[in-house]
Amino acid sequence: MSDKIRLLIVDDEEKFLESIARRLEMRDFDVRTATRGAQAVEIAREEKFDLALLDLKMPGMDGKQVLEILKKEHKYIEVIILTGHGSVDSAVDCTKLGAFGYLPKPYELDKLLDTLQQAYQARIEKKFRVDQERMDKIARLATGSSALSILRELKKIDDEEK
Amino acid sequence: MAAAKQRPKASAESLPFGAEHYGELRRRQIARMAVTYLAPLIILIVYYQYRYIGFEQDSRRVHLGAIAEHQANTLDLFLTERRVNLANLIDHPRFAVPPSSEEMQEYLSDLRRVSDAFVDLGFFDSSGVQVVYAGPHPSLESRDYRGEDWYVTLQRSADHSVITDVYLGFRQQLHFTIAVSRVMDGQLLVLRATLDPARMYEYIESQQAAGDVITCIVNAGGVYQLVDGQIGHPLDNCPFPVPREQHFGDGTTEIGSASQQYAFRWLRNTDWSLIVQSVAEPHGILGTLQPRSLMVSAGLLLLAVIVIFNRAGKLVAQQKETDQTRAQLEHAAKLASVGELASGIAHEINNPLAIITEESGLLMDYTDPQFGHSLDEKELYQRLDTIQKSAFRCRDITGKLLRFVRRTDFDLQEHDVHDVVDGVVDDLLGPEIEVSNVRLERSYDRLLPKLTTDANQLQQVILNIINNAIDAIGDTPGVITISTSRRGNEILMSIRDTGCGMSPEQLEKVFVPFFTTKEVGKGTGLGLSVSYGIVRGLGGKIEVESTKDVGTTFTLVLPIKQKR
Repeated sequence: MSDKIRLLIVDDEEKFLESIARRLEMRDFDVRTATRGAQAVEIAREEKFDLALLDLKMPGMDGKQVLEILKKEHKYIEVIILTGHGSVDSAVDCTKLGAFGYLPKPYELDKLLDTLQQAYQARIEKKFRVDQERMDKIARLATGSSALSILRELKKIDDEEK
Repeated sequence: MAAAKQRPKASAESLPFGAEHYGELRRRQIARMAVTYLAPLIILIVYYQYRYIGFEQDSRRVHLGAIAEHQANTLDLFLTERRVNLANLIDHPRFAVPPSSEEMQEYLSDLRRVSDAFVDLGFFDSSGVQVVYAGPHPSLESRDYRGEDWYVTLQRSADHSVITDVYLGFRQQLHFTIAVSRVMDGQLLVLRATLDPARMYEYIESQQAAGDVITCIVNAGGVYQLVDGQIGHPLDNCPFPVPREQHFGDGTTEIGSASQQYAFRWLRNTDWSLIVQSVAEPHGILGTLQPRSLMVSAGLLLLAVIVIFNRAGKLVAQQKETDQTRAQLEHAAKLASVGELASGIAHEINNPLAIITEESGLLMDYTDPQFGHSLDEKELYQRLDTIQKSAFRCRDITGKLLRFVRRTDFDLQEHDVHDVVDGVVDDLLGPEIEVSNVRLERSYDRLLPKLTTDANQLQQVILNIINNAIDAIGDTPGVITISTSRRGNEILMSIRDTGCGMSPEQLEKVFVPFFTTKEVGKGTGLGLSVSYGIVRGLGGKIEVESTKDVGTTFTLVLPIKQKR
């Protein structure tokens, strides 16, 4: 596993998907792409991703549904919504559902990179915070608990990492 | 104040019709209401006036009849008294045969004290000669009356008395005779008095208080015996019939142009009929009408006219307001549907734009030495081609948008109705339907004739209905079926969806402006109301059926030819 940021991009416009993936790869992202929501959910179950870029309007499962599933199944993933819609309403709905942010299409690449950077930062901080709490807990357990309960806590951490 | 003044001016500008249209509307309203309200009122007024006239004539006839009866009784009594006066004289035990001139003079004076109608008094011996006479015509003494009508009648009279008609006689003056006869020692003795009709007339007149009638007397031959100078002369023929076979009666006589009522009653004593007629000045129908009821009628009519004009004005104002509201609504809805369309179309434009930015960005990255990429010509061509195609995609979308919103008036042309529908479902809604859960089915009757219509306006209607159908289907997969058929001179286009349907209450309000079944902020509630207006404008109608949880069917009924 590399130290690159692992990114999943989901959009039904193949041309768009292909070029954005190329450009982000050139900027040291580890990119996977999906043209359908269901496909994206499948890929995310097989590989781990730090971030996801989701198009909102897609045939079949739309961006909103994918967002809900990803946030449910993956504790630390941060999702950025891409929307061609002029309206902000649906994007706001998405942030309520846990999206990190949204970008209207077309966007400046720098803005996208900034947002990805911030989202990654948020993900790391969140993970760090949780890890910290875990460590504290383990430390507390270590001073007065059985070896079994420490092992149980470590197993939990191991499970969550998957 | 300024704002209030401004408003009507602004509204007049947004009216879809000119002042002429509303003038015509007002005239038609007034005519319609005049027929509805005024005509029955006038008929009622005329009817009641006729009823009133009839009632008045009836009561007048009764009134005249009563006066005639009263006066006839008075006159009968008068004549009886005069005859009894004579009978008493001749029957008196001290009555000498023949009486002397002095005695006769005395008898006459006595009679005149009883009634000043007595003119003279004569005694006739059995030869029919007036042997003794008292009165103003001494020349009549010794005249032979054997051949006179009254003498002949008296000879045959059962009750030994006679009352003659009025006549001129030897003296050439109007008079009439009352005579009584007695047979003494085989001799026919006659006592006769003549009376002045004028005096008798005065007597009758004095008996009667009502000044609104004229009394006259005719004999059995219809000849005036006594008559008011206003209407005729004694011995003239009475112009109207007084049938002898009726004891009393009434009728109407024409005097000049007006009709006059009269009542008559035959006397018991003699063949005279007493006639009473009204003296009210000659009048026609208008004259008969009561001024007060006329005023009430006129007032009612005036009120009705005012109400009609007022109501017509209000109706026209209301119509103006409705037209104005509708025009505003249509405008608002056009803006709203343009807004909805714009947000949908933004998505369609932004996606190709994003492709353009990404493809061009990638090409720029390739030229950036930082990434150390080389660019082969084939890839360059492909990426530029993608950019160009994306730009054309944008152009096509904006073009459709413009075509859709540009139309304002009806632009009637012949169209294949299927081209019109396909324009909506393939071009305008194609991308949206593609990414939705909706499956579109078409059941077209390809033999339909061309339809004279405004394709753009009709497309707006179809777009509204299909958009609603898509919304009604929502997240679960569904089917929209568009079918066409012909019914007489109309083309039917049904758009059926398997969406959530509507309750009967919702269905009732489906065309009401601002009514929407969609979530707050999702629908304007204008789409269908405006669609309805458009289809009505095209001479057609929209029918709608819906069952909750089963689906909705909108059917456009469009005339094949426009009547304009």
